[in-house]
Amino acid sequence: MRATQLADLLRKGDRVAVSNITGRESSMVSIVSHRYCGNIVGGWALGKGGQTIEYEPGRVIPVFATFADLLKNLPRRQYPNKIVVYSPPEAVYGEVKEVVSFGKKNIETIFIITEHVAIEVTAKIASLAREAGIDIIGCNTLGMINTYDGVRVGAVGGDSPAESFKKGGAAIISNSGNMVTTMATYLMSAGIGTSFGLSTGKDALILTPLKELLALAEKDRHTRIIVLYIEPGGLYEKEAVDMLKRKKFTKPVIVYVAGKILETQNVSLGHAGAVVEGAFTTASAKMRLFDDYFGIEPFDPQKRYDHNVKLRQALRRGIRIQTLHTLPQAASLVYRIHEWERDFSPRETIQLNPWFVNLGELGKKLPAPLILAPGKIIEPYASQFTSLAAGKLGKMAAQRPMRNASYASGNDGQTTTIYGYSVADLMQRGNFAESLILQWLGELPQHAFESRLVEMCLIASLSNGPGTISAQAAKLSASAGNAPHTGMIAALASVGDVHGGNGREAIEYLLKVFEATDLTDPYTPKDSGVDLQKIVLQEAEAFKKRKAIAQESGTGYIRIPCLGHPVFKDKDVNFDPREEAIHAYLHEHGLYNVFLDFYRRLAQTLKHIGATSRVLAVNVDAAIACIWLGICWKLLKDRRITMKRVTDIPLVAFALGRAAGAAGEFLDHQDHGTGMDMRVPPSECEMLTKPRDLPLSKK
Amino acid sequence: MDYNPVCKIRDPMQQITELTFLEQLAKRSKLPTPAYAVTPLDRKALKALLDQWQKAVVKPDILAGRKGKAGLVKVVDDPARAQQEINRLLNADLGGKMPRTVYLTRYIPAELEIYTAITYNSSFLGPSLTISLKGGMDIETVEDKYKRTIPVDVYKGLDAYQASQVLSDLQCPKKIVSAFSRCLVNFWDFFITSGMRMCEVNPWRVTPAGEFYVCDFKAVPDESNFKFQNQAIAFPEYPENITPFEEEMKELAASSYQGQLHISDLHGDLILPILFGGGASTIITETLCTCGGSPIFLSDFGGNPTYDRMRHAAEVCFKHHLKKAALLLILGGKANNTLIDVTFQAIGDALANYVEERGPVFMPVVIGRGGPRLAKGMMIIKEILETLKLPYIIFGYDTPVTLVAEYAARLAKAYAPMRKP
Repeated sequence: MRATQLADLLRKGDRVAVSNITGRESSMVSIVSHRYCGNIVGGWALGKGGQTIEYEPGRVIPVFATFADLLKNLPRRQYPNKIVVYSPPEAVYGEVKEVVSFGKKNIETIFIITEHVAIEVTAKIASLAREAGIDIIGCNTLGMINTYDGVRVGAVGGDSPAESFKKGGAAIISNSGNMVTTMATYLMSAGIGTSFGLSTGKDALILTPLKELLALAEKDRHTRIIVLYIEPGGLYEKEAVDMLKRKKFTKPVIVYVAGKILETQNVSLGHAGAVVEGAFTTASAKMRLFDDYFGIEPFDPQKRYDHNVKLRQALRRGIRIQTLHTLPQAASLVYRIHEWERDFSPRETIQLNPWFVNLGELGKKLPAPLILAPGKIIEPYASQFTSLAAGKLGKMAAQRPMRNASYASGNDGQTTTIYGYSVADLMQRGNFAESLILQWLGELPQHAFESRLVEMCLIASLSNGPGTISAQAAKLSASAGNAPHTGMIAALASVGDVHGGNGREAIEYLLKVFEATDLTDPYTPKDSGVDLQKIVLQEAEAFKKRKAIAQESGTGYIRIPCLGHPVFKDKDVNFDPREEAIHAYLHEHGLYNVFLDFYRRLAQTLKHIGATSRVLAVNVDAAIACIWLGICWKLLKDRRITMKRVTDIPLVAFALGRAAGAAGEFLDHQDHGTGMDMRVPPSECEMLTKPRDLPLSKK
Repeated sequence: MDYNPVCKIRDPMQQITELTFLEQLAKRSKLPTPAYAVTPLDRKALKALLDQWQKAVVKPDILAGRKGKAGLVKVVDDPARAQQEINRLLNADLGGKMPRTVYLTRYIPAELEIYTAITYNSSFLGPSLTISLKGGMDIETVEDKYKRTIPVDVYKGLDAYQASQVLSDLQCPKKIVSAFSRCLVNFWDFFITSGMRMCEVNPWRVTPAGEFYVCDFKAVPDESNFKFQNQAIAFPEYPENITPFEEEMKELAASSYQGQLHISDLHGDLILPILFGGGASTIITETLCTCGGSPIFLSDFGGNPTYDRMRHAAEVCFKHHLKKAALLLILGGKANNTLIDVTFQAIGDALANYVEERGPVFMPVVIGRGGPRLAKGMMIIKEILETLKLPYIIFGYDTPVTLVAEYAARLAKAYAPMRKP
């Protein structure tokens, strides 16, 4: 044991190095920790030397191949004095051994986060550390936080340590990592903050036993009370209570002992060390040990303690709580007995505070005390819910590592699938457009005509003549002597927000307009959820107003996406023939698409109210957006696909058609073009900068 | 605290019994063991054994608790009696545990019984050896003056000199000190080379001639130790030792170390608890039991499980228990690592999948959680529950888990009688 007070285990200015820092959990936690307190000087991971962990844009934690490498490369002033081990169980011994061999003079504490470390290895680590004078916290610790110094190691406090740990007088020492944060949160409701939060780990061997941690806490100047979460197993509490009695411990202790269920149910707990070894190691025995030390019965929220001298005297040693949610009351009582001010103004009292309640019909049948009204949601969550709930459409997808995983496709070695459907079956019984809808949306089309409309969109996207930017790109590539796929890539690379990407803006615009409505079926002309003419008029008037203000002030204004076309623009009533073809198909087959109807009516109304001088063409990008939004609408309403996916679909739909068209353009140019024929002769190029002479010194 | 009597569970910890030791490990251990035979044995075979051994000990192969096989072991000297005892033991019940089979060992006449155990000791933070010359008894009942516990250096191991000192200190008969000390070194070698967390021989029976034999054995392996894993010990199945639910979860748990996946069947009939955090899950389960919530099992799914792992685990829970549950409880403290959106999406998808495959279910769902990506996670599960038309109450981490558990128990008890048969 090297530390003489809790802060020696972790304080501001400590330099932390993390083993296996590139792992899934360790990298995530290290990023949060470093953003919180910036105490990580580097990490190491076998075979990953040279990599970095980016914790903020452009700012990184360096990764070395080994601990020895880390020492070789870091300047001496950055040599780590604290180590966090995240390595897999079988590598932990090697890592600790390396740290002890190379860093003996510098390393003060090693936090071993890894779980499932063999007990034999843990015992060997204990022996190594003892000889080297290094403190070990763990194995299977969650880490530690020093609230006054605003530093942590490991994941104590989760992704937002400051939310649960405010400066105060309670040092929390817990066998459960989760309970460190949970108890800190409960204490806050009583206006009591924390000095330290420490997860001891709960493997069979806890390498810094409770008696030592209590001694360290006693010497900490910020710590007034010590809050313990205890589980069965080990003689740690027996030894700790012996020490408390022997040394006449000066600080009150509040203890919660879990795991009595082990004795009556013969059940095993999740924690590896929760194994009953004999007398003094069961939950009941530990409860008795503490009760005996305190000389007082467990905390009873109904009992009056304040005016009883004997009870007050006992409370100076502390008390055991039987239910975790009485912790704030018990801690407040101990503060009061000692005549200590609360650390800060208390948060709301602890009570049943549901954030969301929807008991439906069941609510009518239940007894009144069980029917709870929604309570107050604490910040920042209330704001987060408001912003998440703002959109009535689209799914919120949970993120996960997707390196080897896919919802979109599968291959079990025998069958290739798209969203679970066999590709072979789709080939035999489906068509391309149908499979495309499946591949992009995860569901087969709900109506047969949808495949036909997708096909029409693809045909419409194939070409709009050799002068389009994408066709030119394909031709340039052919002229340069490239392979055909390069021509397709060139065409795709020239599709952007202005050329081809306008469909995305159209769909965003349509979503904005229709999200607020109760539209259920975009294919029904008189859907009860929509008063189309009213919406059209509102949009037209809003546009007219925007345009007028802009003209008066001489500034630009936000246009309606996909209205108007650079070619189809000179008539009084203009049409993009590709959009017209889609419209005609719908009309001939007695079909309807509310979005396309909206666009067409809008073009007419804009002219009608004088916002435009002509009826603008609804261009093909808008048509594609309308068709795809029609297909996506139900999935959006049912929250089965994300808004992001839907807004991207028109662009990828155009790009797919145009890439195929570009291939045709490329092949044509390759067959019939002359070499370098896309080269623009110098005589046709305009030089906008005058020739200048280099200064003499450069000649 | 009083516990709901419906909560009954068997010890899921892996245990090596004497018979497993005799069958699979004894030969590698250099520890002297008596001859043995496993039933079924016909009258002729029994007679042949007893002719050879004179006397035999009939024992059940059972996962004994701390009190061992006390009262179940019988010494026999004729085939009829042996058969009678075999039949009796085959149907024996030790606290709800049934024997897998019955076996016989040669009776070792003894003038001394010795207790020995090697285990990892929380005071020494390393291995320790415990010896008592009052063998054959529960060691906790033996007075301190008759037993010794010494630390063993995990690197150097136990040497014969160290062992002999303890034996002498206990006034062990001189004639066996030297030989038994060497035997204890073998005992240590077996312990350390087989990756055990505890090995107990109780008793060694020492014959008048000074020979000693392992006459009962119990060990608990360290499942994280590669030395144990490398031995590929076949653990026999014991009747009712593990439920199909526990079996399936155990397989799933073994498939990866990413995230906790710990369950123990409690045989309750009201609340299906999907709980997070080793500490929180213990407290919640205790609260549920105390309040009559009758949890179907104890669970801990914390440690940031992946989507697949959480979904698979939830699917297994639902497959085995959702039908009988009166309430689904998804509860944990404020997570440090576990991503709430990922776990809630996985649980929600598993629930939706259950409904899709097996038809609609109806029961209240109580949720309480805190941690990374909480708002998104709650929105995800809320939407899924609304789609499935399940009534719900969702708490944040500002309501203590114990209060939520108490409420869930009351709600489950109120709703249970309303369920359609």
